[in-house]
Amino acid sequence: MKLLRHDLHTLTGAYALDAIDDAERDRFERHLHRCQPCDHEVRGLHETAGRLAVAVARVPPPQLKERVLAAAARTRQLPPAAAERPQPKIGRSWLPRVAMAFGAAGVAAALVLAFALSSAQRQLDTARAQDKAISAVLTAPGARILTARTTVGGTGTVVVASSQKKLIFTAAGLPQLSAAKVYQLWLMGPPRTRSAGLLPAAAEGRTAPLLASGLQAGDRVGVTVEPAGGTSQPTTTPILVMSVR
Amino acid sequence: MRASQAGPDPGGGGEPDLNWLLDHVARGDQGAFEAVYDRLAGPIYGLICKVVRDPAQSEEVAQEVLLEVWRTASRFDPAKGSAGTWAMMIAHRRAIDRVRSATAELQRDHKTAAASVVPAVDEVAEAVEASLDAERVRRCLNALTDVQRESITLAYYGGYTYREVSGLLDVALGTIKTRIRDGLIRLRDCMGVSW
Repeated sequence: MKLLRHDLHTLTGAYALDAIDDAERDRFERHLHRCQPCDHEVRGLHETAGRLAVAVARVPPPQLKERVLAAAARTRQLPPAAAERPQPKIGRSWLPRVAMAFGAAGVAAALVLAFALSSAQRQLDTARAQDKAISAVLTAPGARILTARTTVGGTGTVVVASSQKKLIFTAAGLPQLSAAKVYQLWLMGPPRTRSAGLLPAAAEGRTAPLLASGLQAGDRVGVTVEPAGGTSQPTTTPILVMSVR
Repeated sequence: MRASQAGPDPGGGGEPDLNWLLDHVARGDQGAFEAVYDRLAGPIYGLICKVVRDPAQSEEVAQEVLLEVWRTASRFDPAKGSAGTWAMMIAHRRAIDRVRSATAELQRDHKTAAASVVPAVDEVAEAVEASLDAERVRRCLNALTDVQRESITLAYYGGYTYREVSGLLDVALGTIKTRIRDGLIRLRDCMGVSW
């Protein structure tokens, strides 16, 4: 089985050049859905193939332009692919509770967070335990919501439930990182700094909520850019540090 | 982050950004489509000529491809690659569809094909795009091993499958597969493609 996978992976080059037959292409595309490194490699190789095309550019016959523009003028365009942009479903049972917990002033912020959470609907559905834990933080008495800008653009939002020693973090509008890097969340306390996990990849610019527990008095929340997989201690200057007390 | 939501000229270099143009094409902007045509028709037509060879057929395929760009502009996703590459993928697939369906009827002369697939200097010299790009591509191609270069040019410019390339070069199938991949990775690094 391993051999077969390896075999498939080496097809990235032939695939990027369309040098495989239809049956093999179908098989490889199914593999691509499951193999993120292959997908990343294929993108780079497709870009490379595109450069090979530019190198053989030729002046097209002059009549082509007129014909193409005339044909375009009478050709209906496809609408954007609907299946790829699912409408976020708002209306989960915790939403009203969240809104009440925050009171009027916090409602807008809660809605922003709720939107971020609902865009992570699928992950939440498969992780009901975490869903419950997140709801518990959101509805905890005295829960507070804080938002701050990062030094690289975008914002981080924290919901802190001090009574439970927990917090939820989401980010919006952070610059996209290469596959070799991740955003890592830290609880930075006077005694020591602990990893609170890696931010999930952003969907529509927002990251799914990350639940961190073990919050201690005096902790601040920080985010750094780290090598894929994360590190045990921050190795770069934080792009965001927030006091949560 | 790609620049589709940025202005028409995020780099300030004078040329509108292709992603931005396509975004407008997707909303039916025919002026934007004309600008896209001016940018992409040369590479699209050149690539198709390389693969299809017959000028009349190439023109026909190029028209189909450019119309496809107009029709499906809304499906272009800047997160998945650059706009130019997206268009070239459409062009290349259409071109090889044309030659592969034609091969059944008309046996192509493999030897002629093999000799003519590497872009000749004079041919590239008439390129529409700044020939600096072409020069770089040629330099990077020349830095490959013979098998890497020949298998990539046969596959891409010749429109052959890697199985056919294996037969043409008389090199084992598995070797061709890895040479194509290794060669493309070297080209990618040599040309400074970052994705």
